[in-house]
Amino acid sequence: MKHARIDWQQLWYSGRRQPFTADEMARAGADTPSPTLLANAGINFAVIAFVVMQLAPSSQTARLTAALVALAVIGTSVAKWLWWRPWAKPLLQAQFGVAALSTLLVYGMTRRVADRADRESIALAMILGMALLLSGFWLLVLWRAAQIEGRLREQAEREKAVEMAGRLATAQMEPHFLFNTLASLQHWVHTKDDRAAPLLDALITFLRATLPMFKHPLVAARDELAAVERYLQIMQARMGARLAFRIEVDEPLRELQLPPGALLTLVENAVVHGLETKLSDGQLLLRGRADASFATFEVIDNGPGPQIGMHDGVGLGNVRQRLMLSCGPSASLTLGAAPGGGFRAELKLPLIASKA
Amino acid sequence: MTQILIADDEEAPREQLLAALTRAWPEAKVVAAATNGADAWDAFLEHEPQVCFLDIRMPGLSGIDVARRIGDQAQVVFVTAYGDHALDAFDAGAMDYLLKPVEPERLAQAVQRLRARLAASTHTEASTQALLQQLAEQVRRPAPLAVLQASVGRELRMIRTDEVIYFESDSRYTRVVYAGGDALLRTPLKELLTQLDEQLFWQVHRSVIVNHRHIAAAVRVDEGNMHLRLRDRTETLPVSRHFQALFKGQ
Repeated sequence: MKHARIDWQQLWYSGRRQPFTADEMARAGADTPSPTLLANAGINFAVIAFVVMQLAPSSQTARLTAALVALAVIGTSVAKWLWWRPWAKPLLQAQFGVAALSTLLVYGMTRRVADRADRESIALAMILGMALLLSGFWLLVLWRAAQIEGRLREQAEREKAVEMAGRLATAQMEPHFLFNTLASLQHWVHTKDDRAAPLLDALITFLRATLPMFKHPLVAARDELAAVERYLQIMQARMGARLAFRIEVDEPLRELQLPPGALLTLVENAVVHGLETKLSDGQLLLRGRADASFATFEVIDNGPGPQIGMHDGVGLGNVRQRLMLSCGPSASLTLGAAPGGGFRAELKLPLIASKA
Repeated sequence: MTQILIADDEEAPREQLLAALTRAWPEAKVVAAATNGADAWDAFLEHEPQVCFLDIRMPGLSGIDVARRIGDQAQVVFVTAYGDHALDAFDAGAMDYLLKPVEPERLAQAVQRLRARLAASTHTEASTQALLQQLAEQVRRPAPLAVLQASVGRELRMIRTDEVIYFESDSRYTRVVYAGGDALLRTPLKELLTQLDEQLFWQVHRSVIVNHRHIAAAVRVDEGNMHLRLRDRTETLPVSRHFQALFKGQ
């Protein structure tokens, strides 16, 4: 059995040992100390200075003041230096450096003081000041490292959530839809039905368009709409007379940039929840219009409409999140009842931001 | 001869299953191929088949809803595409299922199992039925109809569903009998069934749904026949065999 040994380095400093990379510092540690933090440091130093003055003989006030000012200047610049290097090695260097400097300072100040008691009280006051300064560095590095690590962790979690949602959304779309389509296709191939060839064409075009789509942060509405149209053609082949659809999008809107899969998710939602549950006469309308500042896409179905207790699924939640990330806070996704029953989803994009 | 019901809302997979079943189980007969859940349930009551192949996602009633209604009256096999969440619940082998596109070998296997279960007259276990009940409750469905619209002569009558005493199928229409009289609805009974509050309205016959608050007594006529007497009304309503279990006494 191995004996646990005392880790001396941990005893001195239990915080982060590994330096942050330049990239990590740029992402999570680019901020300067806040005014509150500076005020806090200033007040602490003033209190220390006051205590040191009380401890020292009154004959040495001038010298001590000079020494304290020197310590303050050194302390501030070292703290600033540590602010950008909050890990073990710079802290060690800073502490040794300041300790050595303070020792020299004490030696220099007490050399010409004749009275032994005076000498001792000056030395004591200065060592106390130095000890407090060194603990200050220690606390600063510990706190600053924790702050940056916390921010990095938060960023990583956020990125992971977005990535996971994206992957989930694609995965959720694929298998059920794909195998159902293949089932129809297989049957029509076996029975030499004329519907097989156009269905296969539509499926190939759909897959070719959608699979690489999610690799890009934005796609042209033109490409997204092409995928949507293929999807609807496939569903129409499968559902027969139960599904009719129209796509009416103003030509200039087709040049807009959208988060990939946004319109497809809305259309898919309308088909799966709105129209597949209808016995007959399912209708879907995708309309895109623009005014001076906003482009509006609407997906309207004539299914059962919004239901009690309904909430965003993974797909819609994902669209909402990517919309905010790529088109800014003035972009919106609104869900609700369509006039005359059914469901209506409205995607609104600011025209300036999305054209950029 | 074993009678089979199949149900799928899409034409191609329905026909494919029909063709595959004819090959895999030549001595059985497909008596109905329904295109939605409501039709599937109606066809079940009409033909009383011993085996049902049900697609899970269907309009009207889901495959799970239909299976729950069938209970232990027939062997049920679900047919669905990969990626259906309901399948996770059946991984323990409580219920057989086929994945679309249906493979002939897998279907042959399922048929063999069905033959064995039919020969041994094994019924669906109570735990499986509880599971179906649970799954059926998870499905989002629109709120039940609150008001019915029936045209009588020139007027359109608005009838509150909680005032209805019973519904009776009248070929393609449904006759509704309520406190204020009776009227004809254009919706067939099997479709209306999916829009009513199940707690209030009990189906007691393929062509009769009754508001259970108006039932005064269930009268057993002989071994197979039963009818209902209603409160403050003279007519009686038939209860078919499948629904007699609703009135088995305490």
